[in-house]
Amino acid sequence: MYKLLLSWRYLRTRYIALASIISVTLGVGTLIVVNSVMAGFAREMHVRLHGILADVIFEAHDLNGFVNPLWHMAEIRKVVGDDLEGMTAAVHVPAMINIQVRGQWLTRQVNLIGVDEETYAQVSDFRQYLLHPDNQKQLSFLLREEGYSESARQLPPSGWKYRRLKSHYEREYELQQRMLRQALGEPDPAAEQAVSPASDSAAGDTVPSDSIATDAVPESEILATVPENPLDAARADEPAQVFDPSTHQHAGIVLGIAIGSVRQRNAAGEVQDYFLCRPGDDVRVTFPTAGMPPKAASEQCTVIDFYESKMSEYDSGFAFVPISWLQEKRVMGDAVTTIQLKLKPGTDLNAVRDRLRERFPADEFPYRIQTWRDMQGPLLAAVQMETTLLNILLFLIIAVAGFGILATFFMIVVEKTRDIGILKALGAPSRGVMSIFLSYGFSLGLVGSGVGMIGGLLFVYYINQIAQLIEIVTGQEVFDPTVYYFQEIPTIVHPLTVLGVVIGAVLIAVAASVLPALRAARLHPVEALRYE
Amino acid sequence: MSNTTLVPRDSDRKSLPGATAGPPGGTVGSSSSAELQTRVDPRHQAGANSTPTNSRGNHTLLAAKKLEKSYHKGKVEVPVLRGVDFAVRPGEFVAIVGQSGSGKSTLLHLLGTLDAPDSGEIVFEGNRIDNLPARGRDVLRNRHFGMIFQFYHLLPELTTLENVLAPVMIRLGVLSYLWQRQAHTERAKELLEMVGLSHRLTHKPRELSGGEMQRTAIARALIARPKLLLADEPTGNLDQKTGGEILAILKRLNREEGLTILMVTHDQAIARQADRTVRLVEGRVAAA
Repeated sequence: MYKLLLSWRYLRTRYIALASIISVTLGVGTLIVVNSVMAGFAREMHVRLHGILADVIFEAHDLNGFVNPLWHMAEIRKVVGDDLEGMTAAVHVPAMINIQVRGQWLTRQVNLIGVDEETYAQVSDFRQYLLHPDNQKQLSFLLREEGYSESARQLPPSGWKYRRLKSHYEREYELQQRMLRQALGEPDPAAEQAVSPASDSAAGDTVPSDSIATDAVPESEILATVPENPLDAARADEPAQVFDPSTHQHAGIVLGIAIGSVRQRNAAGEVQDYFLCRPGDDVRVTFPTAGMPPKAASEQCTVIDFYESKMSEYDSGFAFVPISWLQEKRVMGDAVTTIQLKLKPGTDLNAVRDRLRERFPADEFPYRIQTWRDMQGPLLAAVQMETTLLNILLFLIIAVAGFGILATFFMIVVEKTRDIGILKALGAPSRGVMSIFLSYGFSLGLVGSGVGMIGGLLFVYYINQIAQLIEIVTGQEVFDPTVYYFQEIPTIVHPLTVLGVVIGAVLIAVAASVLPALRAARLHPVEALRYE
Repeated sequence: MSNTTLVPRDSDRKSLPGATAGPPGGTVGSSSSAELQTRVDPRHQAGANSTPTNSRGNHTLLAAKKLEKSYHKGKVEVPVLRGVDFAVRPGEFVAIVGQSGSGKSTLLHLLGTLDAPDSGEIVFEGNRIDNLPARGRDVLRNRHFGMIFQFYHLLPELTTLENVLAPVMIRLGVLSYLWQRQAHTERAKELLEMVGLSHRLTHKPRELSGGEMQRTAIARALIARPKLLLADEPTGNLDQKTGGEILAILKRLNREEGLTILMVTHDQAIARQADRTVRLVEGRVAAA
C-alpha cells in the first residue's frame, strides 16, 4: 500500500521527473504520427502500384512474344488451379506518342499495352481508374458522346460533341485558307494538303485529298449525327471509304493522365492541369513491328479516355489500345508478350509464382514470371526501409529519454535517501523499497506515453488541418499537389503499432528506473538514516 | 487505567483480523507469535491487575550478549562496541547514557536490528534475532519494535495521519489495507489524540513543530502495538520544555501501559527520569 501511496505522492510532487518524461511523450507522439503517415503512404502506394499490375505476370523476354497463348493459358490454369480468379493476355511494346499541340508535335515515350477489353478488367483495377463513368463500368475503345467532365478531374468538353465541333471548325478554316489563296492567285495546294498542319489530324491515310471541300455539312446536321459504328469505319481498309473525323474515329487509345496533361501552377499560384489533348483528339502512335529487323509502324489513334491511377510512374508511362488492333498492326498473329493472372484474395502469390517457375523453367522457356511485388520490389523495399529506419531512430530518442529518467531517478533516490532509511526502519523490505521506484518509473512511463499517444493520435486525426495551419503560418506548401497526387495526407492508425509503441516506451521508462531502484533497495538503513 | 490500549492484549490481537498473520518466511512470524504471546502473558496480567512496576520479574525481554561492532574508516578499523552485555526486563524504562562516540546509538541500531553486530548475540523474548534473515528482521521491526529518533524521521510526502499509518501500510497489501482501513485509521486517530495531535491529522511534517513531529513519531511507533520502544535521543533536538513533554508521554506509557522503553541519551538529567541507567563508556557497559 505504501508503495502506491508514495509513488503517487512522488509523481505529484516531483515535477522534474515529469520534465524528464516529456521526451518520452514527444518520442511516442512522433512515433505514432510517423507510423500512421508511413502506413498511409505505404497503403496508398500498394493500392496504386498494384492498381494496374496483375497479381502474377508472366512475360516473354522477346518483343515478338510467344505464339499459341491459348495453350499457355491452359497450362497455367492447370498449374494454378482453383486459386485463379482471372487471366488475360496482353501485348507490351515500347512506343512513341505524338500529340499535336498548337501546331507543334509533342513526343511522349510510353509503354503501349494491347489489352483485351473483356478480360483485362478481371485481373487488375485498371477500369476504376478510367475517367469516363461508363468506361469504369465497361471498357470499350469507342469514343463516348460526352460525360467526361463528370469525372473528378473536370476535363474540358470532350467526346464526340467536341470532335464534331473541332473537325467542323478545322474544315471551315481550311476552306477559308483555300479561298484566300485562290483570291491571291496562288497555286492550289490541294496536293500538299495532307501535310498541312491544320488538317493533319483530320486527314488520315484513308482520306482522299479532295474530300474536305466536298464534305461541308451544315452544323446542326453535324451535331445531330451519331456514329453508328465508328470503329468499323476506322478499321476499314478500303481506300474508297471516306474517313470523316466528325463521324469516324481511329482505333481507340487510353492514355495515362500525365501523358495527355501537364500539372502546373498558374500565375496566381494555383495548381492547374493543362490538357495537351483530350478524349476526341487524334494522336499518332509509333511502335516497332514484330519480326527481325523491326520496322517502325505509325498509326493514328483517337484518344477515347484517360486513366488516373495517381502513380506518376504509371500515369506518365502507359497507354492502352485494343490487343487485336495492336497484334494486327505489329503483324504478330496471335502472339502475346504477357499473360497476367489475378488470384483469389489471400492466395500466397510467391507460392503460385514458384509453381509456375517450376512448370516453365527459365532454361527451357524464355519467360519471366514475377509477382507485382517483385516488379515493384525496390520501391516497396525502400518504403519499408524508411519506416524501419525512422522507427529505430525514434526509439533511440525514447531511449535517450530513458537515460534522462535514469539520471533524474538517481537524483531522486539520493534526495530520498533518508526516507528510504525510514521506510526500512519501519520494516519495509528491500523489495518493497525497490518497487516504489519501479512503480514510480512505471507510472511516469505510463503518463508520458499516454499523453504522447493521445497527442500523436490527435495529430494524426487533424493532420490535414495542421498542414493547412503550417501553410498559413509559413506560407510554404507542406503537401504540394504538383508533386503528390494525394489531395490529403493519407494516414492509417494500426492499434497494434500504437500499443507496441506505448508498451515499448513504458518498458524503457521502467528499465531506466531499475538501476536507481536497485540502489535504493541496497541502501543500508543506518547510513540512510544518518544521511543529511 | 486509560481507555486507549497501547500495549497488545490477546483480545486486541484477535479483534484485528490479519494482525497476527505475518508473511511467510519470517522467523518471528505468525508461527512463533503465539509462542511469544504466551511468554509475555505475565506482563499483561500484571498490567491489567496492578501497577506494572511491581510485576517486573526476572524475565528478560531483550538481552545483549558480548556485542561487538567496529566501523572501517579506510583501512583503519574503529571499534565502537567492545563486548556489551546487558538485559532489559519487560516493563522497564532503561536509559543508555554515554558521551558522543561511546557507541550508544550504534548499540540501539544493533538492538533494533537495523544493523548486524560483528560478534555477540541479541536475544529477544528468548529468540536470537541478530542472525535472522532480512525478511524476519523487517517483520520484527514492523510489529514488535517501535522506534523514535532524534530527527523524528517522518516521511515528508505523507500527512500526520498517513505517517502514523505507515507501518500498517507496510505490513498490509493494498487490498487488505483497504479492507481494514477503518479500524486502523480509528486507532491512529486515538494514538494521535493520546499524544495531543488530533487537530493536526492532515498536516504535512514541514507544517509541524519539532515537538509535534516527535509526538507523531511516537504515535507511529505505537501503531503496531509493539512490545519494546527504542528511542534514540528523543529529546535531543527539542528545547527543554518540549523535551520534557515528550519525556512525560514516554513515562506515562511506561507506567500506565507497561511499555518497555529503551532510551539512548547523552543528557544525564533526562536519563535520571528512567527507572534504570546503563552507562556506556568506550564501547563497554560501565559499572553504575
